[in-house]
Amino acid sequence: MAQFIQVLILGLALGGVIALMGSGLSLVFGVMRIVNLAHPSLIIAGAYVAYWAFKLWGIDPIVMLPVAALILAGIGVLLYRLMFEKEAKSARYSEMTVLLTFALAMMVEGLLGAFFTNTQRVTSPDYATDAFFLGDIFIPKGQLYAGIVSLVIIGALALFLKYSRMGYAIRATTQNRDAAELLGVNVNLVSVVAFAIGIGLAGAAGALVSFVFSFFPAKQWEWIAMLMSVVVLGGMGSILGTVVAAFSLSVIAAFVGTWVGATWSTMTFFLALFVILLIRPEGLFGEKPEMA
Amino acid sequence: MAATLHTPDAGAVLAARKAHDEKLAKRADQTRATWFPVTVLAVLLALPLLQFTGNYNYLLHLVLFTASYVVMAAGWNILGGFAGYVSLGHAVFFAIGGYFSGVLLARFGISTLLTAPLAGLLAAVCGYLIGLITLKVRGPSFIISSIALLMIARILFDHWTFIGGANGLALPINDLPVLWAKLPYYYAFILMAAFTVWATYRIKHSKLGLGLRALSKDEIKAESAGIDTRFYKVVAFALSAFFVGMAGAVWGEYLTYLRPNIFLIILVSANLVLMCILGGKGTIAGPAIGAILIVGINELFVATMGASELNLFGTGLVMAVALMFFPLGVVGTLARKGKLPRILNWD
Repeated sequence: MAQFIQVLILGLALGGVIALMGSGLSLVFGVMRIVNLAHPSLIIAGAYVAYWAFKLWGIDPIVMLPVAALILAGIGVLLYRLMFEKEAKSARYSEMTVLLTFALAMMVEGLLGAFFTNTQRVTSPDYATDAFFLGDIFIPKGQLYAGIVSLVIIGALALFLKYSRMGYAIRATTQNRDAAELLGVNVNLVSVVAFAIGIGLAGAAGALVSFVFSFFPAKQWEWIAMLMSVVVLGGMGSILGTVVAAFSLSVIAAFVGTWVGATWSTMTFFLALFVILLIRPEGLFGEKPEMA
Repeated sequence: MAATLHTPDAGAVLAARKAHDEKLAKRADQTRATWFPVTVLAVLLALPLLQFTGNYNYLLHLVLFTASYVVMAAGWNILGGFAGYVSLGHAVFFAIGGYFSGVLLARFGISTLLTAPLAGLLAAVCGYLIGLITLKVRGPSFIISSIALLMIARILFDHWTFIGGANGLALPINDLPVLWAKLPYYYAFILMAAFTVWATYRIKHSKLGLGLRALSKDEIKAESAGIDTRFYKVVAFALSAFFVGMAGAVWGEYLTYLRPNIFLIILVSANLVLMCILGGKGTIAGPAIGAILIVGINELFVATMGASELNLFGTGLVMAVALMFFPLGVVGTLARKGKLPRILNWD
């Protein structure tokens, strides 16, 4: 029983970070119908920001989080202007943008690899290797803090989407781009803002990831499949769905990892992705089969 | 007096249409420069004669390497170009072919040159079965499912001890002298490339090819026009897996080792996509031209920048630029402008 609770706690602790990693992806898909395969590579870019800030100046990754988010959001605006703005009119838009973001992912990985090499890195603030003990059960502090910060950020995002004027416009655009434009929403501005927020969330997630997982540029391929399974299960574009999916898959993966073997815990995500795409492509919270 | 209603019988209409089609086909045949690919093939077949005058192993390697990618890119083109289903997981079939023939070579000493068609068949069967599942979804979902397929295969191959796991398998090296050691593989790849290009031409102009092109434009309309779209695209998946698997088989013996981190990487799949897009998706000459361009660009990058990481950056950059400014590729763009030279019109 103690082991069961322990594994459950470890799974839940990772769920928050994974939810944050996926939420930006989901937002960008919801508003712009871009399946951003470059998202994990940008998370890794954010992780490097936190890593070097910690390594060079000893700045805590959680303190560095807003900075990483801002830097990445800036990069997001740039990327949107350069790569995606003119694609919006293309007929095979959704397929085109998948390939385009795939190319972007290779470019980011290449650049990061050239600058920082493909060695495994992890930021090591004190709490990353510490834990709270409750009797037999321990809760790793790093993952707990990362999970809490993630949930706070996702909560703030949900409030922003729900109550702010811009959030209202973003949700309208997600539901129906053409109708939103007809009703006077500046769809182009909304797209830029949503894309910047999405990539900014990648930066924020990167800062947390930097002390939760070890990372290197080529790790993105593993994460692409992992995040895709979370986002597809949750229903592309649904933030709540992403959170639920992240926690459930993370817990399942933790159990698989303990009882079947560590290598099979990543397999959980890939198989889940496969099965979900085939059985219910619109996901748990998706409204209609947009993707199919 | 009532006007007699003129009712042409169906047979006459069909006959007239057939005559018209034949006229078009004849005109296409007259303008087609068949001599060009045939000459290229003859030159490439005679190229190893250079070995009598010195060591041209590097040149042979480049041609061989390009030919292997022509086989794979042209194979990918059947699914990605004709049917419009972009797959980023074709490295899986490359690995299946490579490992099947490689294991036969390592255990029983049968040359992969003999088992390559079998490897292709195995890949095709796997492709057929996988296609039955994944081709239910299209667009971005299909692309993502193909990436998932690659990740799953990578984990399986990495942990399957029978085939060496992550360390891979070492294959015996042939006992030919250095000058001639590449020759069997060289000819195998040149012939396979020629066969593949010919086969894609035949497929494109068959009923299957017509159906595939129809469903790539609009699957629902194609279905309602009586095309069994499900069957057609699964067959296209199997055919494209066949060629990729065949190339993988011989490539394994040429490399003399099999390892998941060489065969099962996304860069292999990405290269196939990139070659087809750069050359012209859905055209016959496109994959060949794309393969030549990409291998050329790659060699240039390796020669000037060296580092493999910047190489990855370069590949991504070329892909992004091609997609944004050149989505029809060399052949497609030229054909749209009506400036496609006759020697490149293989369709």
